[in-house]
Amino acid sequence: MTDLEKPDAPEPFDEAEYRRRQRSRANLMGVLLIALAVLFFAITIAKMQIFQ
Amino acid sequence: MAQSLTHGATALPADWRDLFALTKPRVMSLVVFTALCGLLAAPGEVHPVLAFASILAIALGAGASGALNQWYEAGLDAKMKRTAGRPLPAGRLDPQTALQFGVGLAAFSLFLMLFASNWQATLLLFVSILFYVFVYTMWLKPRTPQNIVIGGAAGAFPPLIGWVAATGSVAPLPILLFLLIFLWTPPHFWALALFVRSDYAAAGIPMMPVVAGETSTRRQILFYAVIMAAGAIAPWPLGYTGALYGWTAVILSAVFVALSVQVGMRTTREGDMMRPEKRLFAFSIAYLFILFGAVVADHWWPL
Repeated sequence: MTDLEKPDAPEPFDEAEYRRRQRSRANLMGVLLIALAVLFFAITIAKMQIFQ
Repeated sequence: MAQSLTHGATALPADWRDLFALTKPRVMSLVVFTALCGLLAAPGEVHPVLAFASILAIALGAGASGALNQWYEAGLDAKMKRTAGRPLPAGRLDPQTALQFGVGLAAFSLFLMLFASNWQATLLLFVSILFYVFVYTMWLKPRTPQNIVIGGAAGAFPPLIGWVAATGSVAPLPILLFLLIFLWTPPHFWALALFVRSDYAAAGIPMMPVVAGETSTRRQILFYAVIMAAGAIAPWPLGYTGALYGWTAVILSAVFVALSVQVGMRTTREGDMMRPEKRLFAFSIAYLFILFGAVVADHWWPL
């Protein structure tokens, strides 16, 4: 049995998977930040309308 | 950056799907719906943007509670078939990421609620998160079979928060809606506990069927179903809702009690498929959705 076949041996590092997750998280963070900016802008406008 | 699963010296970033699963999306759907109904049934008008942001804050607060619950119970979840595939027990996410995610989401939900509505709703949201995490998850659940009876209060907060977000004050109707979910929780969860009893026993969680036995649990399901039915119908004779809600509550509660009688009066046999229990569990979810929908319909289109 080689080291990699042992049950407690660390999985081989998958760089493609690392990049894929990093990219998908970066894209998601970008979308979330834009959505938050829009939401906070909309809340501010709504509050201004109420106070007027 | 949040990380998970160390591969040698390098760590893989947590997958967003696992973070999403940490928020218990299915539970969140009921939370969002009841909160929305609380908000829509409140008197007066709420700006749609502020209403949306308030409901989003409640959803994020519920998600944070779910994440912190899963972080704390990762060890227990690993022992149960039903939960072993969750991101933490399955090893797809590391506990520190889950904790940071849960705390961060909770803080953000409170900030959003304060920004979009009022401090009263923010305070209630804060109390509901603390109650779910500290009182239910950490204190009651591993100690007493009454865990979901008292802990049910945590899930009962959303319609109250929705109402307070819209009005800034508490009124009898949202308190009755709070009471309805509070009384609905024991028969709903004990029906589930009856058919996943071995899971709870394996994890050492003192759910009612594990501690008090099946017969006692079945009787208590029936007992709570009757009280819950009375609580569900109460807003009508008390004058807080009209006939549309009233008749919906009467009919649905009668079905709920009838299904509970089936569960309450039987015993499990060899190779039992537990159909009545599964039927009650499924119906209890539909019951709450339809009843809360009726509260809103009654407010907007009174008979």
